Amino acid sequence: MGHPVFESRTKTVIWWLAWLLLGAGQSLLFYYTHDADIMLTVTDGFVSMMIYSVLALASWYPVSFFNKQISKTSGLIFNLIAVSAGLVIIWLLLSRLIINAIFPEPGLYSDYWNNTFIYRAGLGVLICILVLLTYYLIISYKRLSDKKLEESRLENLLKETELKMLRSQINPHFLFNSLNSVSSLTITNPDKAREMVIKLSDFMRYALSRKDEQPVTLGRELENLRLYLDIEKTRFGERLTTAEDITEECLDARIPNMLLQPLYENAIKHGVHESTGVVNITTSIRCTRQILEIVISNNYDPEAVLPSGTGTGLVNVQRRLELSYGKEASLTTEKSNGQFIARLKMPVLK
Amino acid sequence: MKEMNPIKVLIIDDEAPAREILKHYLKNHPDLQLTGECPDGFAGLKAIREINPDLVLLDIQMPRLTGFEMLEVMDENPLIIFTTAYDQYALKAFEMNATDYLMKPISAERFNDAIAKAREKLAAGKESITRAADVIEKRPSDAPSLSRVVVKKGSNINIVPVENINYIEAQDDYVMLYYSGGKALKQQRMKFYEETLPPGQFVRIHRSYIVRVDAIARLEPYGKETYVTVLKSGEKLPVSKSGYKLLKDELSF
Repeated sequence: MGHPVFESRTKTVIWWLAWLLLGAGQSLLFYYTHDADIMLTVTDGFVSMMIYSVLALASWYPVSFFNKQISKTSGLIFNLIAVSAGLVIIWLLLSRLIINAIFPEPGLYSDYWNNTFIYRAGLGVLICILVLLTYYLIISYKRLSDKKLEESRLENLLKETELKMLRSQINPHFLFNSLNSVSSLTITNPDKAREMVIKLSDFMRYALSRKDEQPVTLGRELENLRLYLDIEKTRFGERLTTAEDITEECLDARIPNMLLQPLYENAIKHGVHESTGVVNITTSIRCTRQILEIVISNNYDPEAVLPSGTGTGLVNVQRRLELSYGKEASLTTEKSNGQFIARLKMPVLK
Repeated sequence: MKEMNPIKVLIIDDEAPAREILKHYLKNHPDLQLTGECPDGFAGLKAIREINPDLVLLDIQMPRLTGFEMLEVMDENPLIIFTTAYDQYALKAFEMNATDYLMKPISAERFNDAIAKAREKLAAGKESITRAADVIEKRPSDAPSLSRVVVKKGSNINIVPVENINYIEAQDDYVMLYYSGGKALKQQRMKFYEETLPPGQFVRIHRSYIVRVDAIARLEPYGKETYVTVLKSGEKLPVSKSGYKLLKDELSF
């Protein structure tokens, strides 16, 4: 830890002002109580306080050193008493020597010294206690703020890690099933196979990209999710159709990347996978200046009893929204008239 | 090589491209004859009944009825080769005595291996697929609970959500499921249901009975320290000592 007095100009100024005040204080005190020569009193007051000031500055180093190295309270107190005693004794000796040199007339300073010695020593001890107290306040304050800083740093780290974890992971079965389709298309329709490989690569590049941790534009997110839906359409053929109803102006809003993918995956898992008929996934997007609303809905087979499995996808989207926007964003789902509707509301980020 | 009857093959998969690649691979095996392809489990069961194939290439994840559920209600005994992108069902598939388990994307080599195995099995005399009943499923503790049961009523296949099951009665090697709208016999063990039904919703009240908690109307004393449960439908089921304890824990009385 650096010296706290030199941390900022203000602190340095306050420090020296405090000592000037102490110098003036001592001068006044001894002038009125001991009826001594004003020159002598004032010089003595300021010079001795300047000496004390320098010594007090230096004492910071042993104080902070002992504080760091010694954890036992008793050992710490012993060392502090030693520092204090040393500080006061050296101050008294130095003041006596230096001021005596300024007023060399025999008896002049020594008489004054002898008369004021008790008060001088008492003042020295008092100031010493003040200085050490100040230092201790500074040390514990620093510790507290360091701790707070560390805490908030850890909190941020945790949040970041959680966001990374929640970032939609591509389901490996999607990949394997798509590759199986590609493998099949190489025989029946090589052009389509090549097209699918390219779509799959483009989508995977987007899904796996780490540069895109920051929010992406809604337009870019949708572009890539269209690739995803196209790939699924190749797998499921006519069983999957999509429709869009999007207000152009909303496309510049920014959202976390791959935020919407689990919603589409969910629609495919519970819609297309469980229905023998056609499933249509509709994306509709509206926005105001402040609020972006994305609604993804799909019809499903109301008679289908879903095999077991939990909707971790939706839960992850919800948690991601919470971490990124706090209470300002929401994801709600409802089932009505054979439609599953996921409604996402969030603040517009540009 | 002497002339044999062709091996009748049926493909069941809900994805058209997945069926295409299998059809393509089959072309290299003149002794195999493709007799049909189906896009879902119900159509598959119908086709199996009509065609009685020797070998079925069966997907697992399909709409309405999974490949495994099909096997539970199937009377015929074709050889089964599973084709799926999921690896977590392999153990169950082999415990059910599946001929092979092909992972998508499927390579020609693996496909040919599987067909060779099927040929061998057929030559050695038919060996039926093991029913789910005989498979002691090793379920991981975090496996999701059962959400539906497939039953057969005459020639109809019904999918019963577990919420509709009122109680299950043990009958030798079978269980009788009593659900809203009927009852059906299943070749399954009590232990299977005891372990896979959603905990908290069902209690095994007796060696021979598992009951849905919400279907219970009340408990009546029956002799000294013994009880019977009365269901909302009026039926009475015996409660064993350990069953009484479980009920007590579940209903906290």
